[in-house]
Amino acid sequence: MNVEISLAVNGREWAGEVEPRLTLADLLRDHLALTGTHLGCEHGVCGACTVLLDGQAARSCLTLAVQADGRQVTTVEGLSEDLLPRELFQCGFCRSGFVCSAEALLRREPLPRAVELPELLAGNICRCTGYEPILDALSARLPG
Amino acid sequence: MPGYLADLRAPGALELAFVRSPFAHALIGKISGPAVTATELGVGDLRLGGHGVAPWPWPALARGEARFVGEAVAVVWAETRAEAEDLAESVEVEFEPLEPEAPRRLFERTIDAGAVDVCFQRAEHVLERTFSCARQTPLPLETRGVLAHFEAGRLTLWSSTQIPHILRRGVAQALELEETAIRVLVPEVGGGFGLKAHVFPEELVAAQLARRLGRPVRWIEDRRENLLASVHAHDNEVLMRAAFGADGRVLAVEADLRCDVGAYSVYPFSASLEPATAASAIFAAYDLQGLRVSARAVTSHRCPVGAYRGVGTNTAVYATERMLDLIAGHLGLDPLEVRRRNALRHLPCTTLGGRELDSGDYLELLRRVESVSGYEALRREQAEARRQGKLFGIGLALFNEHSGTGQSEYRSRGIEEVSGLDACRVRVTAEGRIVIHTSSVEIGQNHAPAYRRLTERMLGLEPGRVDIHEGDTDVCPPGTGAFVSRGAVGVLDAIAGALRLAGKQDLAPGTDVTCSIDPKQVFPSGAHLAVVEVDAVTFVPRLKRYLAVEDCGNVIDQRTVSEQIRGGVAMGAGKVLLEESAYGEDGQPLAATLLDYLVPVAADIPRIEIEHLVSPSPISAQGSKGVGEAGTIGAFGAVANAVADAVAPLGAELLELPYGPQRIFAAIQLATTSKQKKGRRLGG
Repeated sequence: MNVEISLAVNGREWAGEVEPRLTLADLLRDHLALTGTHLGCEHGVCGACTVLLDGQAARSCLTLAVQADGRQVTTVEGLSEDLLPRELFQCGFCRSGFVCSAEALLRREPLPRAVELPELLAGNICRCTGYEPILDALSARLPG
Repeated sequence: MPGYLADLRAPGALELAFVRSPFAHALIGKISGPAVTATELGVGDLRLGGHGVAPWPWPALARGEARFVGEAVAVVWAETRAEAEDLAESVEVEFEPLEPEAPRRLFERTIDAGAVDVCFQRAEHVLERTFSCARQTPLPLETRGVLAHFEAGRLTLWSSTQIPHILRRGVAQALELEETAIRVLVPEVGGGFGLKAHVFPEELVAAQLARRLGRPVRWIEDRRENLLASVHAHDNEVLMRAAFGADGRVLAVEADLRCDVGAYSVYPFSASLEPATAASAIFAAYDLQGLRVSARAVTSHRCPVGAYRGVGTNTAVYATERMLDLIAGHLGLDPLEVRRRNALRHLPCTTLGGRELDSGDYLELLRRVESVSGYEALRREQAEARRQGKLFGIGLALFNEHSGTGQSEYRSRGIEEVSGLDACRVRVTAEGRIVIHTSSVEIGQNHAPAYRRLTERMLGLEPGRVDIHEGDTDVCPPGTGAFVSRGAVGVLDAIAGALRLAGKQDLAPGTDVTCSIDPKQVFPSGAHLAVVEVDAVTFVPRLKRYLAVEDCGNVIDQRTVSEQIRGGVAMGAGKVLLEESAYGEDGQPLAATLLDYLVPVAADIPRIEIEHLVSPSPISAQGSKGVGEAGTIGAFGAVANAVADAVAPLGAELLELPYGPQRIFAAIQLATTSKQKKGRRLGG
């Protein structure tokens, strides 16, 4: 009982049949070979799988592919390398999720203040860095 | 290599799913459905056990009975992971629940040095407490994973591992293959922290099925499996007695450690890992006249215990540093002063616990902590905060830790399966490029730039000619892998050795030399300070400030050192405040998702201040020491003491990790009721 969907991923149209239970994360990784989106917990806590859905941060492990029907999806592959460069991280597994969460923050109006960042990024887990390098890099782009 | 394990393209690969035990202890009866069981799989046990370690191997699939919730009982496969999971769910297993088995003792280490009894007889004060360290799990953000392919008599195993050569050895043994018939490849690794330094049942199953089915076989762990059935750590209870004088000088310490190592002994470290490292780390930075320790590993119906950043040293430093603060409190002395009076003053030296400390200046570490933190002003700030009714605490820790463990130490712990060697192979290509292969592996520590710079400096090369290539057992020299902070010790020594050999051949194209090193442990040290405020209503502790003064000898790469300390402190703070792999009385795990197993997020960790002190090691060739675990170990003492100090004015005494709101509340309740009882007794 597959369902036909179409969506735009990083600006490119994709259409196809998917199982209703297929997650957006698995669609991106397994069907579109966009493996930059990582799965850390598959229950919506760690934030590694965060993508942008119509410009807003969304957990792709908790979003079904059918929910993305007709919508715009942006993954780490569609965002600038410079926002949070790889060398800020250690193992790097959480990076794609942070990039998408950060991009969503930077698109907000009005922009959040730098002091609010630790709370605003509390939905992404990093086990290596202690968060400081990530917060510092983003703070530089935000008003005090 | 680009991409993590789950990102690798594996056309035609079958996906595995495991059927796992829902019981802590149960007989396994009839299994119906399309599953392969232990009998059909035919994989041998990983041989474990050397001096003093009772063999109690973790089978690839449970045989006859299951011994912990989450233990793999059978395996299924399908074209996709979703289908494999459907299949696993369709398998019916007749379990017959059993009573828990009496704990088995798998290992014991004792230390009895100096005049313990005399010290206890003469001491003006004796304090006795039981400290417990919660069961925890390393939780790398990338779960475990393996991709196996058997072709033309050769097994290729991609694994997210810290120990490619040990994995090759373990798989060869269990599958009865020649080691040369196996190639282990390591893609990008999304964090290890010790968890990925084991050979796991699932790796053996995937390898065997790839051989049987003639198709690539892949298994990607999910987070529930990771929380229940990878490895746990630190489930330790320490009964500690300290004999000390009115001046706060500790004369002797007795400690009895009970380490719950779970259902099986892990490969390659065995059940000796926590007790052996904890025993020798007790009061290891302090000058004692007597030390008596008994540390034993006992089984339970819980997930097996393995390595987690800092291993047994965390427990030892936690108990030691808490005890010193209790002594300070008992005598009305300042905790910093008590540490100053007890710190080892003359290094190098050998501790009563047998640590051969190579270098360090512990008084200077304490001086730096005092001056950089503005300690006196901080205590005044605390007094003012307390006047305002705030629960404001300051915590300290002084510690050392072992790094770069070599062969003899592993043998003495009964660990035969870790060679303890580190190796480097240097090749010069026809184009004149220098290729460095080491026995280590990149797991996020980002050591390649340091290796590259060392190579350029030693060989006098212009930048851009050096390539680093690790994580491939076909081309990298055999060695121990990436754990126990050995990168800046044995691995660096091996690189330097191999570069010297290559230099002797004038870097002629075709040069191909290997240097293997048996490193001797060297001991980095540190003094840390934490400031914590506990919410007076919710009792949620918040880390407000953290200072780490670290001494890892000569610094090879400043940035890497700071990154390791900062990340280590954050992880250690989480272990003290949040992390717990709790179990219910019935052996059921209570932390099966990341909503139950809490780790620090950005809002939990303040800016970490880092100060460097340099006491070059006279032992390692570069004068450097390991730095991967020091942050975590220091936080075990400093953060715990800060929380305890915050609630001390309420009479509460914290002994059991993690120090979350529930434990804090319970300790305050206990203090209040015992005060009331005392009051009633006096009144009556």
